Amino acid sequence: MTTAQHPGSHASADDPRVTLDEQIGVFEPIPPYPPRTEREAEFYTLGDGEMFINIGPQHPSTHGVLRVVLKIRGEQVVDLDPVLGYLHRGVEKLCENADYHQAICYTDPLEYVSSLFMEWAPVIAFEKLLDVQVPRRAEYIRVLTGELNRVMSHIMFVGWMALDLGGLTPILWGFIERDEIVEMLAGVTGQRMLFNYYRIGGVNGDLNHDFMSRLGRWMSHATSQLEAELALLNENEIFVRRMRGLGVVDSETALRMCLSGPNLRATGVPFDVRRAHPYSVYPELDFDVVTRAEGDCLARYLLRMDEIRQSIRIIDQCLHEMPDGPVIAKLPRLLRPRPGRAYAAVEGPRGQYATYAISDGTDQPFRMRIHDPSFVNLQTVGLVMPGNLVADTMAVMASLDPIMGGVDK
Amino acid sequence: MDRALRRRLDGRFSDVLTGPIRQRHDETEMRIGPADVAQVMRALHDEPEFRFKFLADLCGVDTGRVMQVVYHVGSDTSPDWIRVIADGLPRDDPRVPSVTFLWKGAEWQEREAYDMFGIIFEGNRDLRRIYMPPDYTSFPLRKDFFLADDASRSPAMGVRHLEQVHAPRNAAPDDVVRQATSS
Repeated sequence: MTTAQHPGSHASADDPRVTLDEQIGVFEPIPPYPPRTEREAEFYTLGDGEMFINIGPQHPSTHGVLRVVLKIRGEQVVDLDPVLGYLHRGVEKLCENADYHQAICYTDPLEYVSSLFMEWAPVIAFEKLLDVQVPRRAEYIRVLTGELNRVMSHIMFVGWMALDLGGLTPILWGFIERDEIVEMLAGVTGQRMLFNYYRIGGVNGDLNHDFMSRLGRWMSHATSQLEAELALLNENEIFVRRMRGLGVVDSETALRMCLSGPNLRATGVPFDVRRAHPYSVYPELDFDVVTRAEGDCLARYLLRMDEIRQSIRIIDQCLHEMPDGPVIAKLPRLLRPRPGRAYAAVEGPRGQYATYAISDGTDQPFRMRIHDPSFVNLQTVGLVMPGNLVADTMAVMASLDPIMGGVDK
Repeated sequence: MDRALRRRLDGRFSDVLTGPIRQRHDETEMRIGPADVAQVMRALHDEPEFRFKFLADLCGVDTGRVMQVVYHVGSDTSPDWIRVIADGLPRDDPRVPSVTFLWKGAEWQEREAYDMFGIIFEGNRDLRRIYMPPDYTSFPLRKDFFLADDASRSPAMGVRHLEQVHAPRNAAPDDVVRQATSS
């Protein structure tokens, strides 16, 4: 008995009769539903001589899983529409269903390059809710490890940025420094990337010999070695010419786009959370808030290089002024802060990391808002790209330094 | 705590405040109705005595009874963050004016609040879902949306349709919520 092929049945994926345009998983740039907003209708209507080009969601230079729909005319970008959500894990909801100690480790994987900052903001917010006094040694350790993490993150930025422009060497050189920092942080936190080191009321464990000896060795040659590595790009004419004047953002626009961190300071606005809304022991430490006036990709790059130098200065001061004492305040296992609200922001390598926590008196946060700078900064790509070349899209995006884990939460 | 800022805010916004100004640590908190958001944020942003040019954060909050939109702004005129809470948005139709006319960068944060809470920002020209897929029908950060392992307790198996209104079942008791969000 023969069975007739049912007309409605789906052909299997390995059926040779399946034609290419029926294949699943092919991204159509134009969404299969009517436009929901004015802006979407405007974007997905093609003008004369325009076409769509789809980048991502898996593309080596999107720093994660990001999809960008470009509308182009010839080689020029007319408009672009970033599509997010491929990494969305609902961390805010998870944090609302975890207790205060557990919530901190959910925030780590959001920023897998600078996770200490991502846990620093909620820790300060919870300490504000609980009115905890953090031991001074713990604050110094936080600043010390945090600044190491900032150096590590900026080194990664240099590597990625050069990689997106076609240079492979800086990321390989950068990884030498980065691995040294990662190894020394692993010595004190027990983890290479997702440290989960800060605790409510202090840090998890004191600095140990392994960390101190590695740090001492690194500090003795850090400055000279970093300068040598940075000269690779700073004095590279191809790199400098490519970056200068590209993706210019002025200070007015930067504030209007809610930029923060190095991207804001590269436009000349001297806003640094460490100075504007001081936290931890930063008021006692001596460092400069570096700014640059140009606001282009080169300024954003050079500003981060200056920040590495300032971070090394801060690390040096921490090592000299670190007091003795306990590293964590005595707190009960189960925390029940009084009902209230707290907002805490820290200055990370990408800008302002912040947490807004509401307590309702139970052991779980009633609401925990996680503010990530990458999410806000990424919007600026859509503002500066129109009129530029397609090939510069990734260069501009790399200079804003977004981490998709943080963008998608 | 910036006492002078509190006096200035009290003097300038006495007609729109719906509760006392509170200060704790380095935060100054003011509470207004949703209709006054555009006016208050414009005054904070533009007036030379405030100059709160830096929008630090914009987020939605579901208290279980009402919705809130919370703005944090920073300035070079004060060491405090100002927290502006637009309070009392009805849960079945939360609407608030958009602040994209001051901060274009608020656009995605408003999209996120819309995606997670269903809060409609009037004046945002790109108010579509940002994280969840376009055919998604519920708002995951609302208090009556449960995690997957809690879905058996959920009135709609973790899915709440736009038009379906019901009281949250696992939200904290009313008096606790009131303490946490309005006192």
